[in-house]
Amino acid sequence: MQIELHNVHKTYEGAQPLHVLKGIDLSIEKGEFVSIMGASGSGKSTLLNILGILDSYDEGEYIIDGRLIKGLSERQAAGYRNRTIGFIFQSFNLISFKTAVENVELPLFYQGVNRRRRHELAMEYLDRLGLKDWAGHYPNEMSGGQKQRVAIARALITHPQIILADEPTGALDSKTSVEVMELLGQLNREEGVTIIVVTHESGVANCTNRIIHIKDGIIGEIEENREHKASAFGTTTVMK
Amino acid sequence: MRLDTDTFREIADSLVRNKRRSLLTGFGVFWGLFMLLFLIGGGAGLKEMLSKNFAGFANNTVILISSNTSKPYKGLQEGRYWNFEYKDVERLRQMVPELDVVAPMISAWSGNVAYGSHSSSASVKGITADYDKVETSQIKYGRFINEMDVEQERKVCVIGKDIYNELFPDGGDPCGNYVEVGGIHLRVIGVDFSSGNMSINGRASRTVTMPITVAAKIYHRGNTVDIICITGKSGVKMTSLESRLRSVMGRQHSFDPTDEQAMVILNTQQIFSIVDNLFRGLNFLVWLVGLGTLLAGAIGVSNIMMVTVKERTVEIGIRRAIGALPSEILSQILMESVSLTLLAGSFGIVFSVLMLSGLEAITKHEAVFQIGFGTAIVAALLLAFLGALAGLAPALRAMNIKPVEAMHDE
Repeated sequence: MQIELHNVHKTYEGAQPLHVLKGIDLSIEKGEFVSIMGASGSGKSTLLNILGILDSYDEGEYIIDGRLIKGLSERQAAGYRNRTIGFIFQSFNLISFKTAVENVELPLFYQGVNRRRRHELAMEYLDRLGLKDWAGHYPNEMSGGQKQRVAIARALITHPQIILADEPTGALDSKTSVEVMELLGQLNREEGVTIIVVTHESGVANCTNRIIHIKDGIIGEIEENREHKASAFGTTTVMK
Repeated sequence: MRLDTDTFREIADSLVRNKRRSLLTGFGVFWGLFMLLFLIGGGAGLKEMLSKNFAGFANNTVILISSNTSKPYKGLQEGRYWNFEYKDVERLRQMVPELDVVAPMISAWSGNVAYGSHSSSASVKGITADYDKVETSQIKYGRFINEMDVEQERKVCVIGKDIYNELFPDGGDPCGNYVEVGGIHLRVIGVDFSSGNMSINGRASRTVTMPITVAAKIYHRGNTVDIICITGKSGVKMTSLESRLRSVMGRQHSFDPTDEQAMVILNTQQIFSIVDNLFRGLNFLVWLVGLGTLLAGAIGVSNIMMVTVKERTVEIGIRRAIGALPSEILSQILMESVSLTLLAGSFGIVFSVLMLSGLEAITKHEAVFQIGFGTAIVAALLLAFLGALAGLAPALRAMNIKPVEAMHDE
């Protein structure tokens, strides 16, 4: 069991405190390909932030590989984010003044890997994602699908055990959405990486093997989806 | 915080790839440093140029000038005029032993000096050999007046640079030639090339100097003397001698020793100290303006870095999300700020050095305007410090950006 959450609560303090997560219990096995699905305001982004150690939680337990993630120092949290978890964002979040290969290199820069080794590894990953010829291009010279593949390469380069994808297809058209989801599925099968996709699109969720529904800060139905036939809109309408 | 080539490349990348931002930020510092160094160099050069006016003038000289009395004394009415006489020199020497040089002078304000068909206007000074210690001459040809010239009333003279140029346009050593002054022919024994603009009775370059005994004869002065120049022995404060000088002269020439108008005492030390204070003030102003400009530049850097950090929230969030430590973000922003100020400042140093050598060329190398190497080093260190200071607030703000902001701040 790789990821475990027990009774996780999160409240955003403010003029009007917002109780977003109201006791999340969840376990995700090593090598799973799951989606967390919910409408906006359901708490799915907050859950993702907690899973990614980008945010803290108030109550409960979050355990990765048997280690409790709570009250970490900045250094420890940065270490986890750097080595254990890879992020894929809706808006790609590539650094605009860096080329594709430099963006992919960046996590290794913070690991202190030397420049040549970094470059070699980054080129290797870009090659695997079919972007070798685009290595020297800046993000604004690439299509959405290409940018997302650069972002995936960046997430993969540190060999993370977990990849967290926040609406990975949110800014892509339906064709590239399918490609990106297939790529994630392939990575899951071939590398055995645990992939957690957060989405509000049923089509995207349908590509994963397990769909965890979240509603009003509580885990709802959990669908096993080995057959990939869970789409509310039928199997023919894949996405959008 | 790592300090290796990789870190520097990362910094160079973010500076070079945001050219306009870097240029705008750097310009304030560039200009600030340029102004500071240019003003320092310019001020020093100006001071040197002005100081040259006093060149060769003993700076503890006091000039005594007789004048009308303003108080009645021993039955004599006020408003009476009196004159120094030649014997006063010996009197002063004996009564005031603190004095080093006592040099009497006779002067004729406007005279004409002629050689062959050339003539020139000049002021005429009759002096003793001691006078050279008050206003040092720079003899180019020949020699200065000596004691024998004075004692034997030799009809000789030393001419100033301008007069030499006008009377002897062909150049060469004029010594041995006779020039005509006030109807008498005097043999030229020397040419004085000193260029100081502060001198007694006209500039040295337009003066014909002759033994005082000869001048007394030519201008029918008898025993009277116009001016007495005195200098103190080393360590003597001339201002402390003033009342004694008045009482010695007052007793001899029957004027009230408390009558400050009867004898004018010009203390060059005071003039020098006025000029000195002027430059101290100027220097202060230079530093104030220069540092102010530099500080404004640094604050500009800080401001733009602040905006930059705001603009880069997402980028910094991304860096944090993929494993950058807060301290790494802090050091990156700080180093960017320091690098930018140092780089821009170096251009400022180079530019001011170039401008100052241009200034030297324009003024025909009359004075050294160039800043010293040490000044440049200090300026560079100051810059690094200012850069760090300027980067501190933006860096702290950047450090506090949460990685989660990368996901939401669009």
